[in-house]
Amino acid sequence: MKIESLEIKNYKVFKSVKVNNIPNMAVFLGKNGSGKSTFFDVFGFLHDCLISNVKIAITKRGGFAEVRSREAQGDISFKIQFRPNDDEPLITYEISIDQNSKGQVYVRSEVLRMRRGQHGAPWKILDFANGEGTAAEGELKTYEDVQLATRKPQKLESADILAIKGLGQFKDFVAVNQFRKLIEDWYVADFKIDYARDRQDVTFSEQLSKVGDNLAAVTKYLHDNYPERFADILKKMRERVPGVQDVQAKVTEDGYIVLKFQDGKFKNPFSAKFVSDGTIKMFTYLVLLNDPEQHVLLCIEEPENQLYPELLAELAEEFRQYSRKGQVFVSTHSPDFLNAVELDEIYVLTKRGGYTTIEKASDNPIAKSLYLAGDKPGTLWREGLLEGDTL
Amino acid sequence: MNLVFLLEERSAKFLLEILLPKILPSGTTYQLIAHDGKQDLAKSIPRKLTAWNTPETKFVVLHDQDSNDCIALKANLRAMCKNSDKEVLIRIACRELESWYFGDLHAVSCAYGRDLTPLTLKSKYRNPDKIGNPKQELRKLVPEYEQIAGAKTIGPYMDLLNNTSTSFNVFLKGVQQLIAN
Repeated sequence: MKIESLEIKNYKVFKSVKVNNIPNMAVFLGKNGSGKSTFFDVFGFLHDCLISNVKIAITKRGGFAEVRSREAQGDISFKIQFRPNDDEPLITYEISIDQNSKGQVYVRSEVLRMRRGQHGAPWKILDFANGEGTAAEGELKTYEDVQLATRKPQKLESADILAIKGLGQFKDFVAVNQFRKLIEDWYVADFKIDYARDRQDVTFSEQLSKVGDNLAAVTKYLHDNYPERFADILKKMRERVPGVQDVQAKVTEDGYIVLKFQDGKFKNPFSAKFVSDGTIKMFTYLVLLNDPEQHVLLCIEEPENQLYPELLAELAEEFRQYSRKGQVFVSTHSPDFLNAVELDEIYVLTKRGGYTTIEKASDNPIAKSLYLAGDKPGTLWREGLLEGDTL
Repeated sequence: MNLVFLLEERSAKFLLEILLPKILPSGTTYQLIAHDGKQDLAKSIPRKLTAWNTPETKFVVLHDQDSNDCIALKANLRAMCKNSDKEVLIRIACRELESWYFGDLHAVSCAYGRDLTPLTLKSKYRNPDKIGNPKQELRKLVPEYEQIAGAKTIGPYMDLLNNTSTSFNVFLKGVQQLIAN
């Protein structure tokens, strides 16, 4: 399942932005305040729209006037093109959100279409506006089912929920349920190591929280329920972080759970309190990347914090390996992380006049030719050569 | 005797960390200095040669050929060393480090758990130094190949005596001769 392109209009700092040819692993680069977190929030916003409704998603973010780009008149809209599998059609999901004269937020239009091959005319799977529209009907499992189905007028319970949530007939149709999964399971990692260091209350946690503060509980869960995966994590840990032989989550007598790291050279393991930031952070990422419930899209915020340059290069490789199965978006402003990444994987966010543009680094001819001559992306970034101004 | 290796990037460092102990006599100390690509290495060479004054230190520069003319590249690198009287061995990996892995597909097979040795006879891979884009080619054979992880997993299995890459053998020989003199 891979997002191939993304268009954003009038969402906060993104007045009009197109991100094309997105690879399995994409790195979003920009200075502080350039909009990297907002870019990930696009998925957070769609997530809230899907799980709740557009009204709640907008309210959570301060109201329509706050969310819509300054001085914009049009509606907020997104267009996502994705492909569930290599040999499947390209699916396009377009949604626009507006506010009516009474100040109510609603879905102005929501269209899902698919295109077989490069030149076929697209088939509309569903086409809704303001809570009503048409959708393919019947038992829909395959693309053929959808293509042959009749389109029937339908109404949603309200104009502020998404049709892909409100229409039951699509629950078995791969294009819709994969996309829903991407949005529902969307996960952003913004690990704060200090939370993982302290002993934690014993809880049952299957998945890491956004900041990673339940690391010990998740470690125990993996160790107890997925021993093979856990062994893989330890193997990777030994390869990437010399000195670490074993990691254990121990439940103490007084009801806490602590992480212990065993250095090969010492008999007794070290409590997480005394282990370096880099070791804990690397371990957290390895736990994330080996989650049995694979994420369709993983967003990673600035992994460079607290990791030394060599470890960043190794982490970049781990992300790339993961991205062969699930897509990974990483935000960064670290030259060291960039040096471990290919130019084709990089998108540059630049804020100009209050709005942010997103450009593919390899579309910049100077950057591309310097890269081919041997300059690394981090060096180019440091020299200011990756920003759009050089064009 | 102290050897300082000036390298283009990290994966070479990890590979040499594994291979050098097998060829260097005990008592030889060495440092592996990884740079951030070609330009970074080029800027670094004259500085290192001038300022690194530990006695009995010899230098090795290992550079990827990529798309350059091997002879011109070597001459360029030699020119960077002209302001110093230190002994510098310049060696080129033709065309990339990954060519050295193609020179030992048995090691790659052991590292990734699949038998690639029949490909040794394939005309495309028979002469590893002639492979146009070895990293890309290796990724085609082993989709999960990544540079640093690859150096760490393939390195331990490498047979230093039977590699079919000329540049690899020339590199090893050069290092051994550098110490012997």
